[in-house]
Amino acid sequence: MLEEIKEKVKSKFGFESEPYDTNMLLIHGERNKVRSLMEFLKENGFNYPHTVSVVDYTPEGKGFQVNYVLENVFEKKFVIVRVELGSEDLSVPSVCDIFPPLQPHEREAWEMFGIEFIGNPRLEVMLLPEWASGLFPLRKSYDFKKHRKPTKEKK
Amino acid sequence: MSNSIALAGYSFTVEKEVEVSGEDLGLLQEKLLQLNWGVQHPASGPMRLKLWVDGDEVVKVDPDIGYVLRLLEKLVEYRTWINAIVNVERACFIDNFGTMTGYSIAAEKIAGVEVPKKADYVRTMLCEAGRIVSHLIGLGSFIGVLGVHTPMQWALIAREKFLDAFEVYSGQRIATASIVPGGVRYEPTGKFIEKMVHAVDYLEREFIPRYGEVFIDNPTLKLRTKGVGVVSKEKAIQLGLAGPALRASGVASDIRKDYPYAAYGELDFRVVTREEGDAYARYLVIWEELVESAKIIRQAIEGLPEGDYRTKFPVKVPEGEAYVNVEWARGCFGFHLVSKGGTGPYRLKMRAPSFANLWAMPEMMKGVKLADVPVIFASLYMCHGDIDR
Repeated sequence: MLEEIKEKVKSKFGFESEPYDTNMLLIHGERNKVRSLMEFLKENGFNYPHTVSVVDYTPEGKGFQVNYVLENVFEKKFVIVRVELGSEDLSVPSVCDIFPPLQPHEREAWEMFGIEFIGNPRLEVMLLPEWASGLFPLRKSYDFKKHRKPTKEKK
Repeated sequence: MSNSIALAGYSFTVEKEVEVSGEDLGLLQEKLLQLNWGVQHPASGPMRLKLWVDGDEVVKVDPDIGYVLRLLEKLVEYRTWINAIVNVERACFIDNFGTMTGYSIAAEKIAGVEVPKKADYVRTMLCEAGRIVSHLIGLGSFIGVLGVHTPMQWALIAREKFLDAFEVYSGQRIATASIVPGGVRYEPTGKFIEKMVHAVDYLEREFIPRYGEVFIDNPTLKLRTKGVGVVSKEKAIQLGLAGPALRASGVASDIRKDYPYAAYGELDFRVVTREEGDAYARYLVIWEELVESAKIIRQAIEGLPEGDYRTKFPVKVPEGEAYVNVEWARGCFGFHLVSKGGTGPYRLKMRAPSFANLWAMPEMMKGVKLADVPVIFASLYMCHGDIDR
């Protein structure tokens, strides 16, 4: 089944894909076509979205990587769609209308990494307190020691 | 009739009747009342639900979370591969074994380490014991939100027996830090097996026959939960429900069966599903999983192989990444672990099932009565530790 998806994705979108794990396929997607790719995967049975996982590769000289994890709950197969973003433009079209459960995951990715999901209706802080909006604490450049509150001096 | 207003000498006349439509409806909209449900709630932990109600009908729900945010994903980046388990297990301390197992499997996949079979069996045993412990608290607090707090105490008695076994095994009752990349940390001694068998015996022979009637055939519980918060099969997938809530809607999704890890592939058990999809079905799924988990523990104890319980795990792990799912007590827990060849993880993303259930909840609560809000909330079986992480 994953072989079939792999060939279809190659012929329809031109994206390379590789086996990631048993029952798991990794598709190297592109920012501009991610929405149509998601629609295509949803039509092909990958209708249960798991999460949006962002990895910060800026210390490596690369940008950010956005991974969408989708599952086919009936045929028990996984697909990971990977989109690479340069560090100069951190925006990616939102897929929250195709997969509504991904909306809070995108919101979390925005508040932790500052990735702009264009079209997401609710990019506001969720887990962090209001004052921490815009700090993007999961970025590698975030130095948590700077934001540490001064401790009380011991007597 | 003696206290009727008319008899008391008052009379009313209708001066003007107005039909409200169009823009005037805006005035009615302002009659929506915003209620705060929380911040402290005994069923779950610190969170607030902002509820907008029209009369006693819920119009909109907005969860306000983040009260127990520890940013575990960031803390893990400052730890070594082995040390990171103390952060991973704190995603939710009630079932800490599942999260540690998932993280360890991910780390082993990257490092190319194969764990001994004995470690797999001990992991399975501990994971299932963790699931029972978590389910007992879940069942107890479910009845707790309906205002009956005694069953919680009975559930805690059964839980104590398992905690005794954990104490013998690792020296800790709750945050055990006992599963590490490369195996498990301690030898499963005879004393530990004995305690575990004792706990399972108590659960199967005392707890379930004695209290089962109160937990399952409880008329008050049935009255309050049957037909409340119904989610169909298609809707459950569309909302992205996880774990027992997904299985209660008829979707047989269980990572233990679908993508076996640890020793689950070699053991015999059943995936519990229900078709009704209401709060009572979700509750029954949790209850029936207790029996299945007890069965798995017995099989794992019987089949426990001889040999080492731990192999050497390298200090520096080669570059690579892995995405691993485990069936945690509350659903599918995903770990996206990235290594850059250092002495610790480069990035760990934890996909929490409670987070998925929480954000499916506003859709489920639209149009229900205010009194059903705690029932639906408790039936989704969420933990704040893993919503916030």
